[in-house]
Amino acid sequence: MKHLSEEEIVLHYYGDADDEAQVKQHLAECSACRAEFERLQSLLSSVPSVEVPDPGSFFEEKMWLNVRDRLPEKPAAAKSFWAAGRKWALAGVMAIFLAGAFFAGRFWPGRPPQIVKVNAPVADPQRVVLVAVGDHLERSQMLLVEIMNADDKSVLDEATQMQARDLLNTNRLYRVSAQQAGDPRIAHLLDQLGRVLAEIANAPSQVSDNDLRDIRSRIQSDGLLFKVRVVGSEVNSRVRRMEQNSPAATQQRL
Amino acid sequence: MQVTDAAVVAQVLAGDRDAFRILVERHSRSLYHLVYRMTGSSEDSEEIVQDTFLRAFKALEKFELRSNFGTWVYRIATNRTLDFLKSKKMNDTQQYRIAEDPDPDDSREIQLAATAATPDRLAISEQMKSRMAQALSLLTPAERVAFTMRHMEGRSIDEISKTLNLKSSAAKNSVFRAVQKLRQQLEPFASPAK
Repeated sequence: MKHLSEEEIVLHYYGDADDEAQVKQHLAECSACRAEFERLQSLLSSVPSVEVPDPGSFFEEKMWLNVRDRLPEKPAAAKSFWAAGRKWALAGVMAIFLAGAFFAGRFWPGRPPQIVKVNAPVADPQRVVLVAVGDHLERSQMLLVEIMNADDKSVLDEATQMQARDLLNTNRLYRVSAQQAGDPRIAHLLDQLGRVLAEIANAPSQVSDNDLRDIRSRIQSDGLLFKVRVVGSEVNSRVRRMEQNSPAATQQRL
Repeated sequence: MQVTDAAVVAQVLAGDRDAFRILVERHSRSLYHLVYRMTGSSEDSEEIVQDTFLRAFKALEKFELRSNFGTWVYRIATNRTLDFLKSKKMNDTQQYRIAEDPDPDDSREIQLAATAATPDRLAISEQMKSRMAQALSLLTPAERVAFTMRHMEGRSIDEISKTLNLKSSAAKNSVFRAVQKLRQQLEPFASPAK
């Protein structure tokens, strides 16, 4: 009687043998192959699984923040051969046009230069401030997530503290701007954020586990991360609405 | 009611880039688990998961809304891991260690489940652990991915072959070779079956 191959026995263990019925029948009849199968079964059932360490409760948030900063404006359109061909054809036409324009410019009789008035678009100051505040909240959010997710106190190193100091400086400016603009919600959030940033920036150079725990509990107890996320998202939505309603966008639509 | 993945994808394709966050939040943890089982490194796994989502976003136009986004992104992650393993040449036996109390600073260390064996079946001795680590390191990237998918994730041969773009027979062969190498390393140290 021909015995089962090692491959047949292994695949049978996973239920993947080409002819399961035949393998089963053979195992029922052949004690040598059955013993071999049992040996394999015993070994594979005891292969320890790789235990995955918990990546932390803010893992999803951390992933999103890191991904978002690297996302292109929009997904790439599916490219076809014809689309690529059209692109090159267009490039060729443009090249011919530019070459023609170049030679025409060289040999055409010159005209005195004319002063042309251009109505440059004026940026809406409120929108500019909101964009900056949105960016500030995003960067602060990343820092807080990093601290909440860190494995140990080494996260509060010199670079992190310097980053917190930078954020603290801009935070003051935006807080004052928000107060002046009559936006108490943002002003209050920036006030809360500023206190935590100050705590991070001014932490001792040799941080203890307790220091890190204190900072984390401050972030958690104030629900700061959640607030930063919500307000940041609202600010970005406001910016988008302003962009859509801007005269330039209206003109473009017309 | 939870919005379906397909609806979220449609939202992103319609221009709502931030909606992609929902997909990242829904799938990043399971992808991290998958990738970690193959790389044994938290840092590398995070990097691969991020890269997976970036690729998924860029290729979102190609995603068919009738398909399962989870399966699609799982395939991207597996292929990214495979590329990573190939580039890192993970079959260097010095790269893996197995420990019960992993050193958080050492991203090359794998922690094994403490519930792996009952005392009367198999005692995982120190020697056995080091053999296991050595065996894992001996697997080629494709064998490691195929073994992880079949043995640890319970994925079918069909899924493995589709993910790795292999014929069914080649996927089976990768699983077999992985098991064969593990057997050669572990069997001398396993207690006889009862």
